[in-house]
Amino acid sequence: MTQAEGNQTPFETPVTLIDCDVHPYLKHADELRDYMQEPWRSRTIPTRRQIFLPPGDGRRLDSFPEDGSPAGSDPELVEQQLLKGIGADYVILIPSSSISIIPDPVFAAAVARAWNDWQIDTWLGAYNPHGRFKSSIVIAPQHPERAVEEIERLAGHPHLLQILVGSSALAAYGKRQYHPIWEAAARHNLPVALHVESPVGPTPPSPLGYPTYFLEFHTLYPTIYMTHLVSLIAEGVFEKYPDFKFVFVEGGSAWLAPIMWRMDKDWRGARAEVPWLKRRPSEYLRDHIRFSTQPIEEPENPRHLLQIFEMMDAEHVLMFASDYPHWDFDDPKRAFPPLPERLKRRIFCENARELYNLPATRPLDHLDSTQSSAAAKRCRGGSVNRPPQHTM
Amino acid sequence: MARFVVGPASELPPSSRRIVNVDGREIGVFNVNGLYYALRNLCPHQSAPLCLGEVTGLAVSDEPGEIEWTREGEILRCPWHGWEFDILNGRTVFKSKARVKTYAVQVEKEKRPSEAEGVETYPVTVEDEVIILDY
Repeated sequence: MTQAEGNQTPFETPVTLIDCDVHPYLKHADELRDYMQEPWRSRTIPTRRQIFLPPGDGRRLDSFPEDGSPAGSDPELVEQQLLKGIGADYVILIPSSSISIIPDPVFAAAVARAWNDWQIDTWLGAYNPHGRFKSSIVIAPQHPERAVEEIERLAGHPHLLQILVGSSALAAYGKRQYHPIWEAAARHNLPVALHVESPVGPTPPSPLGYPTYFLEFHTLYPTIYMTHLVSLIAEGVFEKYPDFKFVFVEGGSAWLAPIMWRMDKDWRGARAEVPWLKRRPSEYLRDHIRFSTQPIEEPENPRHLLQIFEMMDAEHVLMFASDYPHWDFDDPKRAFPPLPERLKRRIFCENARELYNLPATRPLDHLDSTQSSAAAKRCRGGSVNRPPQHTM
Repeated sequence: MARFVVGPASELPPSSRRIVNVDGREIGVFNVNGLYYALRNLCPHQSAPLCLGEVTGLAVSDEPGEIEWTREGEILRCPWHGWEFDILNGRTVFKSKARVKTYAVQVEKEKRPSEAEGVETYPVTVEDEVIILDY
């Protein structure tokens, strides 16, 4: 029996699964306007532009609510498919805001603020009686002053556990113009999560510009993630802000050990250029950096994944994510080879619990009762034809 | 412990070095601000001729973007992969297990050739001091 189980009351249940990447969607793009003032309110908000098309419009086909609203926009269906379906005790929401593609930084900051006020009212408010939806403060990193203001405005909200930035950025995130944002994040003990963004943004999705196929676009996410990771370490952000933590979401993780071996090796010769680094580059990982699992790599030989986990110190840096409601969703029971019990606990729960200061047990709620499934909303299931194209 | 006469001290002024062959081992002798240090001419990383590397200083920093230059002349940078070694103790300036072998060096009054048994000798003046390497 774990300590958590030992301490639980009859009204509490141990926290065993935290999903670190779930996307809440607007029911309608105009929903955001209620949270905006002029001169922004009447403008068209730039949205995610799909030039590389994933299967199924990028959504699980069973994640579209019966009423035809967008996938990921109905909290009851999310409760059914995640909180009940995979048994997630908490989900960390990552609004797909595509802020980084908005060229006007002032407009971008206004849109970020609207996303936050919207989610506070909905997913973190009216939709969240059980408190199992947690989320991320949306900021526009292209406007560092406004980003800091937004962090100051919202830090301390009980359900906003991190800060969100997009992978597509004007510059790598270690650079000095971003440091005020990271300072504010560290001061409020809020990790910063980087999530992949639209392929149409301030920078192309690969170092060699725009690929031809979605397959290439999606496979190459790690190239951008590596650039941000190496930048954050080399520029000494974690020395400057010892409490700063950074999370890489949806960029894969199997590449981590080799890129850090390479950086460690180069650092031994190039150290004098970056003498603020007091440790080997890879030594910053355990104290400051986390990775989410989805989309988990699936080597032909599943044991190879376990070897990779060992090389990358997955026990301390890796956190489960499903990426619901996207097409490449990972089911925690099916996506992984059998894991040793301790490693499993770290990846599926403990690493995220420690990062986000979540409790070891949570109150039981109506979703834990078996009767509630009868009243469950149903998705459109297998009867769907082609789902409608959603732009947000 | 054997002794090897490196040569007259006057021939190895501050900031200079000499690589000597001692029983088949190459050893670099460095004059750092008037004190002598000796390191094996063999980098513990990939066996490069370490002592041919640049003698430099140590960049340190307490704040990203700000660099202070210290210990000029006390750091040896490997000519292959650029690892920095502290000439004073043979250790890498970054934390590692790698360490180049060091040797004790002394300066003594020159002895007449007949007293220096079985070692290489150099033509020196009577007033010279000589550098002795223990190995």
